[in-house]
Amino acid sequence: MRYTTSVTKGLTSSKAEEVLERDGPNELLPPKGTPEYVKFARQLAGGLQCLMWVAAVICFIAFGIEFSRGTLGCFDDLYLAITLITVVVVTGCFGYYQEFKSTNIIASFKNLVPQQALVIRDGQKNQINAMDLVVGDLVEIKGGDRVPADIRIIFAQGCKVDNSSLTGESEPQSKTPECTHENPLETKNIAFFSTTCLEGVATGTVINTGDRTIIGRIASLASGVGNEKTPIAIEIEHFVDIIAGLAIFFGFTFFVVAMFIGYAFLEAMIFFMAIVVAYVPEGLLATVTVCLSLTAKRLARKNCVVKNLEAVETLGSTSVICSDKTGTLTQNRMTVAHLWFDNVIHAADTTEDQSGQSFDQSSETWRSLARVAGLCNRAIFKPNQESLPIPRRIVVGDASETALLKFTELAIGNMMEYRERFKKVVEVPFNSTNKFQLSVHELEDPMDLRYLLVMKGAPERILERCSTILIKGQEMPLDEQWRESFQTAYMDLGSLGERVLGFCHIYLNENEFPRGYKFDSDEMNFTTSGLCFAGLISMIDPPRATVPDAVMKCRTAGIRVVMVTGDHPITARAIAANVGIITEGSETVEDIATRKRIPVEQVNRRDARACVISGGQLKDMSSEELDEALRSHPEMVFARTSPQQKLIIVESCQRLGSIVAVTGDGVNDSPALKKADIGIAMGIAGSDAAKNAADMILLDDNFASIVTGVEQGRLIFDNLKKSIAYTLTKNIPELTPYLIYITVSVPLPLGCITILMIELATDIFPSVSLAYEKAESDIMHLKPRNPRKDRLVNESLAAYSYFQIGAIQSFAGFTDYFTAMAQEGWYPLLCVGLRSHWEDVHLQDLQDSYGQEWWVSVIEICQIADVLIRKTRRLSIFQQGFFRSVDVDSMEQMSLTPYIQSYTPCYVSLTILHVFPLGQWWFVPIPYGILIFVYDEIRKLGVRRHPGSWWDQELYY
Amino acid sequence: MAKDAEKSTWKDFIWNSRTREFCGRTGSSWGLILLFYLVFYIFLAGMFCLTMYVMLQTLDDHKPTWQDRLGTPGMMIRPRGKAMEIAYNTTNTETWDMYIKTLDNFLSPYNNSLQAEKNEECIPDQYFVQADSGDVKNNPKRSCQFNRTFLEKCSGLDDHTYGYQAGKPCIIIKLNRVIGMLPGKDGQAPFVTCGAKKEDSDKIGEVEYYPENGTFNLMYYPYYGKKAQVNYSQPLVAIKFLNITLNEDINIECRIISNNIPPGTVRDKFAGKVSFKLRINTKG
Repeated sequence: MRYTTSVTKGLTSSKAEEVLERDGPNELLPPKGTPEYVKFARQLAGGLQCLMWVAAVICFIAFGIEFSRGTLGCFDDLYLAITLITVVVVTGCFGYYQEFKSTNIIASFKNLVPQQALVIRDGQKNQINAMDLVVGDLVEIKGGDRVPADIRIIFAQGCKVDNSSLTGESEPQSKTPECTHENPLETKNIAFFSTTCLEGVATGTVINTGDRTIIGRIASLASGVGNEKTPIAIEIEHFVDIIAGLAIFFGFTFFVVAMFIGYAFLEAMIFFMAIVVAYVPEGLLATVTVCLSLTAKRLARKNCVVKNLEAVETLGSTSVICSDKTGTLTQNRMTVAHLWFDNVIHAADTTEDQSGQSFDQSSETWRSLARVAGLCNRAIFKPNQESLPIPRRIVVGDASETALLKFTELAIGNMMEYRERFKKVVEVPFNSTNKFQLSVHELEDPMDLRYLLVMKGAPERILERCSTILIKGQEMPLDEQWRESFQTAYMDLGSLGERVLGFCHIYLNENEFPRGYKFDSDEMNFTTSGLCFAGLISMIDPPRATVPDAVMKCRTAGIRVVMVTGDHPITARAIAANVGIITEGSETVEDIATRKRIPVEQVNRRDARACVISGGQLKDMSSEELDEALRSHPEMVFARTSPQQKLIIVESCQRLGSIVAVTGDGVNDSPALKKADIGIAMGIAGSDAAKNAADMILLDDNFASIVTGVEQGRLIFDNLKKSIAYTLTKNIPELTPYLIYITVSVPLPLGCITILMIELATDIFPSVSLAYEKAESDIMHLKPRNPRKDRLVNESLAAYSYFQIGAIQSFAGFTDYFTAMAQEGWYPLLCVGLRSHWEDVHLQDLQDSYGQEWWVSVIEICQIADVLIRKTRRLSIFQQGFFRSVDVDSMEQMSLTPYIQSYTPCYVSLTILHVFPLGQWWFVPIPYGILIFVYDEIRKLGVRRHPGSWWDQELYY
Repeated sequence: MAKDAEKSTWKDFIWNSRTREFCGRTGSSWGLILLFYLVFYIFLAGMFCLTMYVMLQTLDDHKPTWQDRLGTPGMMIRPRGKAMEIAYNTTNTETWDMYIKTLDNFLSPYNNSLQAEKNEECIPDQYFVQADSGDVKNNPKRSCQFNRTFLEKCSGLDDHTYGYQAGKPCIIIKLNRVIGMLPGKDGQAPFVTCGAKKEDSDKIGEVEYYPENGTFNLMYYPYYGKKAQVNYSQPLVAIKFLNITLNEDINIECRIISNNIPPGTVRDKFAGKVSFKLRINTKG
C-alpha cells in the first residue's frame, strides 16, 4: 500500500505519530500576519508623524543649546518636544488600537471548537481531533460531517458532499470509489477537506493534510494575491504628501527669510519647526480614524462588520458589485414556486415569511398532487422544532425534497402524522438511471384495501409512464392535446430557471396486489406504467424580498450589479430578471436573434443591454473580449463560472476603471475577494478563508446590507470632506501669526503649544461631530465618485479653506490680536517691530503706548488669537452644518443638531484653556463670524442657482 | 516610455500650448480667479481696517481698557549693565565709564533746575490726586518734583563717578509705571530693600538707601499716563554699596515692600523685584 495503511485496520498508532511528526498537524496555517510591533511602528512612522518627529528633534536640539547657554524660557522647547512626541505616540496608539480591535472581530469568527474525526487505527475506531489526522489514516464520514482532510474514497454508500465552498457547484456531488477523471477536482473518488458530507456514509484514506490540501493551496494562493490599497488610503496619502510638502516648503522659505532678515540660525530653526507644527493638521489622522470607526460601528449594527476601517469608504466609491447568487441574492433554500395542474400554472408563495398570495386549493387534483408530493418524499423534520415557523425548521433530506416537505406541511398540515396514516410499504429511491422515485402506501381508510403507488421524477420520464391525467379530479385519457399542454407548461417553468418535477400516482388493483403482497424494490414486481399524471411542481431558490429594492437602489446610485454564479445560465438569468439585475425589456443577443429570426452572428451586439455569459464561453474569451463585453452590455450575468473566472471578471472590471466590490463565501472565492477593491464575505455561509480574505463581512448574508454599506461609505466621504475642510481652514489662522511674527516682528500671537492644544484638544470634537452629519437626501442618486477625478481634497476645497475662509479667519485673528493688544495698552503701530524688545528678558520696563512699563510674563496676553480662532471656528461650524451640496433645497435642513453638537465641545475646550483669562475678547471677531456665514451662504446660493457656471466650478468643492 | 509621458504631462501642466493653458488655466480663467481674489481680499482688508478703526475709536486716550496683567509692577535698575550684569574694573576707566554716562543721561531730567521749572512741590506722604470733574478732563495734569539732590551721594553732583571709581557704586532703582496705581495704603509708602542671595549674604557689606529708607513717596502717585501727565517724574531710589567684597560675583536682589502690592510668585522672576549681578575688580 502506498500509504503503508491497511484498508481495514488503518495505520498503526506509532506510524501515525511518526507521520504527524513529519507533516505537522492537519490544519490550515493562518496567513502570516504582520508582527504587532511592525504594525505599531507603522502607526508611528506615517508622513505627518515623521514631520512631527523632525520638529521634536529640532525642539530638543534647541533646548539643548539654549539650556547650555542658560537662556531663560528654554524649557518651553522641551515641553513642546515632549508634547509633540506625546501627540505622535498617542495618535499612534489610537490608530493601533482601532486596527487591533477590528482584527479582533475577525478572530472571534474563528471556529474555536476543535473538529472531531472518526479514524480507524490499529483496527480500532477512535474519535480523535481532526488536527491529529495524518496521511494514510483511514477515516469514516457520514452525513452532516465536515470532511476532515482530502480523502480518497474506498467505500461509499449513497455518499454526497457539498463542494460549493470549493468549486461553487451548488448541486451535491455523489462520491464513489471509482476514479472517473484525471483531474482531482472532477473525479468522484476524492472528497475534499472542509467540504460537508450531506448524506450517506463513506470510508477513505487521507491523502493530504493541512496546507497541502486543495483548500490549503487555494488559501495560500489568496495570500499571494496582493492587497490593493484602498481608495481612501490613496486619498489620504495624496493629501498628506501635499501637506507635508507644503509644510516643508513654507518652513524652509521662512527659514531662509529669517536667516536673511538676520535671525540667528537657532532661531530660524525654531521658526521652521513652529511653521511645521502650525501647518501640519496633527488632529487629522485621529479625526479620520474616529469618523471611520464611528461609521464602522454604525454599519455593524446593520449587519456589516468592517474588518478594515478604510473599507467603509471604499464601499462608497464602489461602481460595480459582483454578487454571488446563492444565499446573497436568494434565500438559499429551494422553495416551491409554481405548480401545474388542471392545465393551469399556479404560483406558490415564495416569500420568506409566507406573506404572499397563495393559489386556489379547492381542486381535487391539487389534493392528489399534494398527497403524492407529501408521501413520495424521504425528507423529515428534525424533532423538537414545533415552535419554529415552518420555513425556518431544519430538515434532513435533499433540497428539493425539503422544499416539497415544507410546502406540503404549509398546505395540508402535519406531514409526519399524515405519513403515519398512509403507511409506507415499499420504496424505490431516486437513482440516475430511473430518474424517478416511488413508494407504495396503504390507504388511510382501513376499509379500503387497495395500495397507493406514488411516484415523482423528471417530468418527461414520469409522463412516459402515464396513460391518464387528472383534470379537476377526473381521470382523463392522456391524449396528444394534453401532452402538448404538458410540454408547454414544462418549457415555461423550465425557462423560469426552475427545477421541475412530475408527479403521478395509481391505486393498485386490490386483486392483483392483495394485502401482504410482497413488494420487492429491486425487482419492481408491481405496476409502474399506465399511471395517472397528477401535475408538475417547480422549485427555485427564490430571491430575498429586499433584494429587488436594493438592486434598484444600486442602479439609481450608478452602481452596476453583476451576477457571478456557478449556477445554470437559465436559472441565473431567471433570478437576475427577478431581482432586476436584468431589467424588464432588456434583451440578450440570443433574445434578439430569436425575435428577429436571424442568426446570432448578425445581431448588433450593442443592441443587447443584457448578456449572459457562461463559464464555458468565458474560457474561450480573451481579456479584451471580456472587457468589450463588460463595456457594451450594462446588464451582465455570469453563469457556471469557476472561482478562477471570478478573479478574471474582477480584474476585467478593474481594468475598466471601476471600483469593484465582490461577494463570496467559498474558500475558492478568496483570491477574488482579495483582488477586489472591497471583498465582502458572507457571515453565515462564508468559510473562514473567505472571511480572512474579505474586507467586510455581511452577518446576514443579505445583498441589501451592501447597499446600506454603500450609502454609509458615501456619507463618510462627504463628511470627511467637510471634516478636512474644517481642519484645513484652521491651518491658515495658525500659520499667519507666525508670518507676521517673523516679517513685521510683532510679539508672538500664537504659541506652538497652544496650536497643539487647539488641534488636539479643542478642535477634534467639532471635526468629529461632522461625522455625525446626516446624509444628503440625494446621496444615493449620484454617480459613484470617480477615484481619479473626485479627490477627497481637491483644488477648490483647498482654495476655499485656505484662501477664503482661512483668510477671513486670519483677519479675524489679527483683529482680535490687535484689539487685545491695544486694549491692554499696546497700539497696533507700536506692536510692529516690538518683537525683539518684547522677548528681551532683561528689558523689564518696556513702555507701552500709555507710558506704562511692563515686565515680561505678560507675554501671555498674546494667546488671545487662540480664543478667536475657536470663536470663528464655532461660527463657521455652525454654517458648516449647512455645507450641503448643490441641490439642498431645504433650508430647514439646517437642523440645530450639528450646531449643538459642535457647540458643546467649544465649551469643553474653554474650560481646558481657561488658564488664559481672555474672556473680554471673545466677541471681537463676531463681525468676521457673520462674514463667514454670509459669504458661505452667498457662495452656496450661487452654486445652487447656477450649476455649471464659473462660480460653481471655482467655488464648489 | 512612462517617464517621457510623465515629463510631457508636467510640461503640459505648466504651459499647454494646445489649449493655451498655463498651470491648468487659460488666461481668462486666471484673470477671473485673480480678479475674484483681488476683490475678495480688498474687501477683507477694508473690513479689517474698518474693524481696527472702530476698535481704536473705543480706546480711551488716557487709560488702557484693561490692566488685568499689571497687578504686581516690575522693577528695574539703572544702569542695566549687560544682561543685568554690572562688572567693571576700578583701575580701568573704560570699563565703568559707560555706566556713568548712562546714569548722567538718566538723571539729567531730574536736575533741580529742570524740576523746579516744570513741576511743582507737592505735599509729601499723601497721594497727589487730580480727579477729572465728570466729562471735563482736568488736563494736563501737574507732576511733583523729584529733585536729583534727593539721591544725595548717588546724585552724581558731588561725586561725578557715582562711587564707581572708589568701588562703592550706586545703582538706581525704579518701580514700573502703572496708570492709576496707588502703592501703599494707610499712608505707608512702599520702600525698596536689597539683599544678596544666600551664599553671597556676607559679601554684600553695608548698603545705603537714598532717599532715606529707600521709600517711594506717596505724592508721586497716582500716575495719569504719558499723555495727561507729560512731565511726570518717576520717583527713584538709589542704593550705594559701601564695602562690598571685591573681585567676586555677587548676586543681588531688590524687592519692593508695600502693604498693597502682592508679592510676585516664585515663578514670576520680575514681579515686584529685580535681580542683578555685581562684580568689582580691582586688579589690572
